[in-house]
Amino acid sequence: MEAYLLNLVILISIYSILGVTLNFIMGYAGIYSLAHAVFFGVGAYAGTFMAMHVNASIFVTLPVAMAAGAILSLILALPALRVRGEYFVAASLGLQVLAVTIFSEWKSVTGGIGGLIGIPPLDVAGFEVFKPSQFIFVTVGALIIILFIINRLVHSSFGRSLRAIRDSESAAAAFGKNVPLIKTISVVISSALTAVAGVLYASYLSFINVESFKLDTSVLIMAMVIIGGTGTQAGPIVGAALLLLLPSLISYLDFLPQTEIGSIQQIIYGLGMALLMIYRPGGIVGRKKQSETGKE
Amino acid sequence: MVASTADTQEILMEIRNVDKAFGGVKAVDDVSMDLRAGIITTLVGPNGAGKTTLFNLITGELLKDSGSIKWLGNPINKIKPYQAARAGILRTFQDLRLFNEMSVEDNILTSVEDNSVPVPLTKSQRTARREKVEYALNRAGLFTKRKIRAKDLAYAERKFLSMARVMATDARLWLLDEPASGLDPNSYEKFLEILREEVKQGVTVCIIEHNLDIVIGISDRIAFLDRGKLLADGEPQSVLNDPELRAIYFGERT
Repeated sequence: MEAYLLNLVILISIYSILGVTLNFIMGYAGIYSLAHAVFFGVGAYAGTFMAMHVNASIFVTLPVAMAAGAILSLILALPALRVRGEYFVAASLGLQVLAVTIFSEWKSVTGGIGGLIGIPPLDVAGFEVFKPSQFIFVTVGALIIILFIINRLVHSSFGRSLRAIRDSESAAAAFGKNVPLIKTISVVISSALTAVAGVLYASYLSFINVESFKLDTSVLIMAMVIIGGTGTQAGPIVGAALLLLLPSLISYLDFLPQTEIGSIQQIIYGLGMALLMIYRPGGIVGRKKQSETGKE
Repeated sequence: MVASTADTQEILMEIRNVDKAFGGVKAVDDVSMDLRAGIITTLVGPNGAGKTTLFNLITGELLKDSGSIKWLGNPINKIKPYQAARAGILRTFQDLRLFNEMSVEDNILTSVEDNSVPVPLTKSQRTARREKVEYALNRAGLFTKRKIRAKDLAYAERKFLSMARVMATDARLWLLDEPASGLDPNSYEKFLEILREEVKQGVTVCIIEHNLDIVIGISDRIAFLDRGKLLADGEPQSVLNDPELRAIYFGERT
């Protein structure tokens, strides 16, 4: 039971990092990305590559993974953020599809469809972290640090610029905001921090394959953010916890036919999300009701 | 045209032979005019005359087909909107474009900040910034509403917030796109008072306005546009009393 709970908390922390970093661009800058799992994957593969072939120290794996995520995001952001929001969604979807192919085919780095096994544990300053009871401190610690960084950014002039851009791009530009630059920086920061989750995930499971980094994951992360509350601090964490706990909670309801549990779960997900968006569009943590006045 | 005091002021912006066509329609057609320091120049003309397009061309929101614009003696033909803002040219929008989900205070604060990456501020810079925001909040009568989201303000308050965003900055030129439209008489009296005071303190204003009472009340100079062409540019009385222009203006209205 304890191992089970530890495992859940570790996974919730990792997915919270994914939710928090997506929320940073989605909730504050209004940039909707369907490629978040790509940066998760790039972090995982890059970190793993370093750990297996160079050095397993987090002082090597994390910076390399973050740099890889940042550089890849730049390739997406530079052309896609110069145009309107819808195009970014489409471009990110394209990247997601492309990335899955690369993850499946680039065997020397990703291990192909079979993935990579025997990933070394995290090496934190010479100390190997592999027991869940230790790993939990690393993932929760990473989540707290990332929350802190994003919180500082959101409450700085940079965060105000992001929200201004989200509300009116042309007005933000008219007040001196270099809109493409600010959006690009936000995507790069978000992707670099997302890669951290990838490194943690890979060394925690000691096994990764492309299944974890597909479009489903990108959609799941977006659902976590929306259900928890887009543009709120705690929302993505609440969303991540809820969507990861739900399957286990449902399996505890023993009056449900256990053979049909998968489809029942899907029905509950779908219904819950639809109802939530109707009655509480701001998400669980978000505002109860959107104001109706002064819409433009 | 009679030479007036408005002709002797320093020229801040020089607009020469500016053209802009949308498809086959010439929205701005060979317009040349000067914006002079410390006065209010009003752009008058029927709907579709090209007034807002002219603003968009000045701030780089739209690209000119031809012609040139100089700001403080330097050409700004390829300027982007954010660069125009940083150079001291600010505008408001007819449809306001407030930062709706942000508080009134943050709307103004973010308008004062024109850095792209966060830069650490010294204590005195922070104080100066705070003072500017408070100044604008007070001038616009929004101090008690500073924590409210922009979208939750009443219509007139939203218009004043749109002005406050500009007022808090150090911009030298304000391009105001129908800032007083839809205001009740009380509110627009207050608006005019704010505008006069700011101009007295050295701001230069170019304003698009339809209400003739306001036009007469504030203009130091009037530019009359119709179908993209600048038909007159001079002292308010001479422009407004021109029977031909009156016919165009009121002809369109009725």
